[in-house]
Amino acid sequence: MSEETKMKLDRRRLIKAGAAAGVAIPAAGLLAACSSGGDAEGGAAPSADSPLYGSNAENMQGKTLDFAYSRVAGWPPSSAPATLWPDFQAYAKEKYGYTVNDITFIEGGFGELFQKISPTLASGSQDYNLLIVDSQWLGALSEPGWIVKADDVFAANPELDIEPFSSLVTNTYQVYPDGSGIRWGFPQMPDTQGVFMRKDMLEDPAEQAAFKAKTGKDLPTTAEAMYEIEFTDLVEIIEFFHRPDKEMYGTAMMYSKEYDFFSCAYYPFAYSTGGKIWDPVTLDVYGILNSDVNAAAMDQFVGLMKYQPKDAASFGIGNLLDLFNGGKCFSAWQWLAVGKFMGGPDAVVKPDMVLSIPLPKWNGKLIGAMGGQPWVINSYNDEDHMRVAVDVLKWWYTKETQDKFILENGGLPWSKEGAANPAYLEVAHYVKPFLYMLEEGRSQDFWHLPEYAEMLAVQQEAFNGVATGTVKTSKEALEYAAAKQQQILFNAGRTKTAPPENVDSLTL
Amino acid sequence: MAKSVETLEKSIKDVPKAKKPESKKNWFSWGLLAPVLFFFILMSVVPTIWMFGLAFYDYTLTSANKPKLIGFKNFVDFLANQQLAGSVSRTFIFLLCAVVLQTLLGILIGVLFWKNDKMPGRRFALTLFFTPMVVTPIATSLFWKFILDPTLGVINYFVSVLGFERFDTLTDQTLAFPTLVFVDTWMWTPFMTLMTLAALGSVPKAELEAAQVDRLPIIRLIRTVIWPHAKFILGLGILLRTIDAFKTMDLAYVMTGGGPGDRTELIAVSLYRFAFKSFKLGYSSAVSVFLMFIAIALTSIYLYILNAKKKSEA
Repeated sequence: MSEETKMKLDRRRLIKAGAAAGVAIPAAGLLAACSSGGDAEGGAAPSADSPLYGSNAENMQGKTLDFAYSRVAGWPPSSAPATLWPDFQAYAKEKYGYTVNDITFIEGGFGELFQKISPTLASGSQDYNLLIVDSQWLGALSEPGWIVKADDVFAANPELDIEPFSSLVTNTYQVYPDGSGIRWGFPQMPDTQGVFMRKDMLEDPAEQAAFKAKTGKDLPTTAEAMYEIEFTDLVEIIEFFHRPDKEMYGTAMMYSKEYDFFSCAYYPFAYSTGGKIWDPVTLDVYGILNSDVNAAAMDQFVGLMKYQPKDAASFGIGNLLDLFNGGKCFSAWQWLAVGKFMGGPDAVVKPDMVLSIPLPKWNGKLIGAMGGQPWVINSYNDEDHMRVAVDVLKWWYTKETQDKFILENGGLPWSKEGAANPAYLEVAHYVKPFLYMLEEGRSQDFWHLPEYAEMLAVQQEAFNGVATGTVKTSKEALEYAAAKQQQILFNAGRTKTAPPENVDSLTL
Repeated sequence: MAKSVETLEKSIKDVPKAKKPESKKNWFSWGLLAPVLFFFILMSVVPTIWMFGLAFYDYTLTSANKPKLIGFKNFVDFLANQQLAGSVSRTFIFLLCAVVLQTLLGILIGVLFWKNDKMPGRRFALTLFFTPMVVTPIATSLFWKFILDPTLGVINYFVSVLGFERFDTLTDQTLAFPTLVFVDTWMWTPFMTLMTLAALGSVPKAELEAAQVDRLPIIRLIRTVIWPHAKFILGLGILLRTIDAFKTMDLAYVMTGGGPGDRTELIAVSLYRFAFKSFKLGYSSAVSVFLMFIAIALTSIYLYILNAKKKSEA
C-alpha cells in the first residue's frame, strides 16, 4: 500500500469516525434533552375544574375510553384490579355516564417492571394511567415529576385520605422524601413478614411427645402460643423438625441475590438486634451498615442455612412456595401476603395444614421489613384519563370493592377501619400476624431514594456472596456494601460525607 | 454511407433506451429494499448510534438527574473494574470450553450419522437429536434448573433412591461453571453436528470414491480429501458458535443468576446487571460498545476466512 493510499484510508477512517461521533454525541444530547426534569415538589392545590377531582355527572358523560395500569407479574393482589374491572365499568357507567373499555396492563417482576415503566414515563407517555409500583420507587418516580402528588388528590377528594392502621402504611407507601410528610402513593397491597408452619406436624401427638422428651418443653400447637416466641425457641422447633434424611427440612428462607430477597429476609435479624442500615437524616451508610451488630446478625441469618436444602442460597419467594407446598419443609419465612398460596387444595400441603405467625423476637425486640406496593398516578395522563384514574381509586377504596379484594382475592387490610373489620380478620390465618407486624414500630421500610436500584444491586451481590461462600465473612460483605453505597450517595449529592478512600479498590 | 450513418444514429438512439429500463430497475430495487432499510436504520443503526452517544454520559434511569457528559470516564471505569475483567476472562474460558467440547462431540456424532442413510430410524434420531437446538434457551435453562434442583429435581430423586447423598450443582462454587458449560454443550452440540454433516456433504462423491478405490488410509483421507472441502463450513460453524457463546446471557441468568458469587457471571450477565438492575445506562452502554467491538473482531475473522475461501476458489 502506497503512502498516499494509506493517508487516504486514514483520512477516510478519520472522517467516518468523526461522522459517527458527530451523530453519536448529538444523539446523546437529544437523549439528555428528552429526559424529564420535572419538579419534585409537585403542584399546588387543585383548582375547581382540576381533573384531580375525578369525574362528575357531566364532564365525562357519553365518553368512551381505554385505560391501562402496571402490575406485578404473578402476584394475584396486583391482578385484582383487572379481575374486578367489570365492577368498575358498571360503576363508571352508572355514576358518571362514561364507558371504559376492558383494562389493559403491563406486568413484570419487580426489577423488570421498573425497566418497563420508566422509559415510558421518561418519554412523557400515558401508556399506563395508574401504576402499581414498589415502595422503593417513590423517589425515582416522584423526583422527575412522573407521578401525581397524592396530597393534591387528597385535597380534592378528602374521602380518599383514609386513616391508616399505623404510620408504617404512610411511611412505606406514601411519603417521599422520608420524614417530609409529602405523599405520593396510595396504598394498594400492604405486606409484612411472618413464618408459615406445618400445623398438622405441630398438632401431631407423637411429635409433641418426642419434642417434650428431647427438649423438656411443650411444643406450641397454635399460632397464638407463638406470637411472642423468641428466636432461639423457634430455632429449637425448626431443628427438631429438620430431617433431611426424610427429605423434610426445618425451614426455608430467602438468600437469593434477585431483587431484594436476601436483604429483606436479613433485615429483621439486624433491626431486631439493634442494627441500622443507614442514617435516614444524613443519608450516610458507611460506619452504620458495616457494624459488628449487623455482621453478627448476618452470621445468625446465614447460619440458619444448615436447616435448609443445599441450594438455599438461591431461594426466593417462589422456591419457598414450592418447597412448603411440596411438603419438603416444616416452616418458611415468607411475606404474609403470600399466605393464600401457602398450602393449596392441589398441593401436598393442604390449606388446613398451615398456620402462620409473626416473626420471632430477639430478646423481646422485633422489627421486621415492610413489603407491599402502592398505587401511583401517571402525571402525563390527559384530563379524561386523570379523571378516570381518580375514579378508579375512589371505586377501589369503596367498601364493596375492598370486601371483594380482601375476602375473595387475597388482599390485606391496611386502614384503621379495615383492620377492625371482623370479617377481614377471620378470612385467613395470616391476617392477624400481618396486622401484628403492621403495628407501630414492628416493621420498617428501607430507602425510597432514586439511587435505590444501584444500592440494592451492590448490597444483594455482597450479601448473597456470604450465603454462597464466595465472600468469606459477613463483615467483609457489609464493609463492601457500605462503602459502595456511600459512594453512590456521595456521587449523587445526597450526602456530604465522602466514601472511604479505598472504595474503588474494594472487590468481592 | 447514408445507411451506415442511419445505423450509427440508430445505435446512438438505442444507447439511452437501454439505460432507461436500467434506471427504472434501480428505482424498483430501491423501492423493494426501502422498507427493510427503513427498519434496519430505525431498529439497528439509530439505537447503536444512540448507545455510542450514551456511553459518554453519566445517566442512571432511576436517578432524577439529567444525563451528564463525562467524556471517556465510563470507559476508564470499566477498564479499571476488576470484577468486569473477571467476567470477560470467564466468558472467554466459557466459550473456549463450550466451543471445543461442542466441536469435538459434534464432529464425532456427525461422522457417526454420515453415510448411514440406511440406518433404521436415522431421520427420527436426527430430528430428536436436533431438538435442543430449536428449544428457546430460556426454556432449556429453566428445565435444566428444575432437573438439577437438589430437593425437587428428578436427577436428585434418583440419586436419593439409589442411596446416595443429594447434590447441588448450581449453587456449588466448583460445579456451577462446568454445569453451565455442560448445558450449553447439550444445547449446541447438535448445531456442530449439523455443520459437520453439511461439511462432509460438501466433499465430492467422486473424490471419496477415488479415495476408496485407492484404499487411502483414514488419516490421509481426512487430510487430503475431506479436510480441504469440509474446513470452510466447519470453520464457519465454529465461528458462529464462538460469537454466540460470547453473547451467552439467558443460560447463566436463568440457571444461576451469575452465582454463586460471581462464579458464572459472564460479561453479558454483568451487562444486564448494570443496565437493568442498577439502571446505569451510561456505564452499561460503554460496556456494550466494548462487547460490540469484540463481536466485530470475531465477525472480521469470519469474513476473513470466507474471503480466503473465495480467493482459494478463484
